[in-house]
Amino acid sequence: MRQLLPYLGVASLLLAVTALWVRQIFLAHKSRIEVQVPRKGGARGGSTASHDDLGERIFSLEDWEFVSTNTPSQIQKMFLHERGVIAISWLRRTRMRISLVMRAHLAAAGQTENLHPATELKLALNYLVFRVLCDVLIGCIWLRGPIRTRKTVGQTLRTVVWLRGAFEQLLARVDPANCKTLRTSFNHRAARN
Amino acid sequence: MAASVYTQILWWLGIAAEILILARSVKGNSWQKYRAFYLYLGTLLLIELLRFSVYTLKPQFYRPFYWYTEFLATTVAYAVILEVYSHALVNSPGVARIARTFLWGVLSVVILKTTLNAATELVWSPATTHAELERDLYTVQAILLAGVIALVAYYAVATGRNLKGIIFGYSTYVYASVISLAFGSLPGYGPRPGWRLVQPIAYLAALLIWSCTLWSYSPDPEAETESKIDRDYKLIARQTRRALSKARSFLKMGGEL
Repeated sequence: MRQLLPYLGVASLLLAVTALWVRQIFLAHKSRIEVQVPRKGGARGGSTASHDDLGERIFSLEDWEFVSTNTPSQIQKMFLHERGVIAISWLRRTRMRISLVMRAHLAAAGQTENLHPATELKLALNYLVFRVLCDVLIGCIWLRGPIRTRKTVGQTLRTVVWLRGAFEQLLARVDPANCKTLRTSFNHRAARN
Repeated sequence: MAASVYTQILWWLGIAAEILILARSVKGNSWQKYRAFYLYLGTLLLIELLRFSVYTLKPQFYRPFYWYTEFLATTVAYAVILEVYSHALVNSPGVARIARTFLWGVLSVVILKTTLNAATELVWSPATTHAELERDLYTVQAILLAGVIALVAYYAVATGRNLKGIIFGYSTYVYASVISLAFGSLPGYGPRPGWRLVQPIAYLAALLIWSCTLWSYSPDPEAETESKIDRDYKLIARQTRRALSKARSFLKMGGEL
């Protein structure tokens, strides 16, 4: 039976990519609309700055230290719950921004002549790891809250920052226009802290 | 006996569907667009008719004749995959470049593996049985198809109904062939009649997909000559220029307008 594995693996691969393609065909209209979203966001002046501040505040201990010393336990619970919701929403927004930039890059790359297979592969892998890490972070925060998982969140965010840097560098080489959009729409400081 | 009746039903249904698709392609002139695909289908039709003749007139020669013609069909199918590559990526030169790298990569691996097998085995044979050789040929096709589908999906390359149908139909058939031949080449599975029906049923399903999607010619959507972002930027630039010229004329007229 072991000799069957490579053939079953190849057949499963074919089935998986076909299923993904079918899904993409059905969602094609939706994704066309979404690609335009980051440009609208970038056009609104103050939104980027507030997004940066928000990320920085969500994962800082300042607020929690104040709440934990000056308020009753009910308020503390409420604070943790609300902070968790905000953190998840912020991470989802960050993930969405990156995926929109990636989609825009792919749409542009489809018509570009000068594509390098190795760079494209690195970009795809970086993006995949970035998405997985974001999902892991969301899961951690959802399960244990933003304060309890602060250490894990910090470590994962550092990896996310490193990945984002690598992603940005690659994108700058392949697609400078999209890289600019990415720089203006993603929080640098929050992850560093 | 029951299996034979099923096989014959599948046989005749397959021949009827092939004739229908070929007739539609001649009527709609789509055979000129997908020549390799219709050549493949025409070859299969001819093979089916020849097989039927041999089966009826000289049944003792049917088995060897089946395997030789099966290899011919599998080889012609590679032309279909190359046609899929060229048609799907005609408007995406960068993606086509990646596809070429992938094709050469797969080809190199296959050549390397065959050479290594030849060097290490004392008595060289391409495969122990016919089913194994056919299984290997279909496996390479499955890898190539998975590659082109992954590229088309990843870069969101626009494809027309005809090409989508060819890819879906052929993928269904290749998928079923790899699975059934992989199990069929196991000792003990070969004589079972069940796995032999999987391939004809999958082929009939593929013919059904092709009948629906290739009923009439549908051109592939043309690629946008410039990206949406560039186009939007030009639109905004044009609007800004218009607004500026309005403002300039307003100032020239002393703010009366």
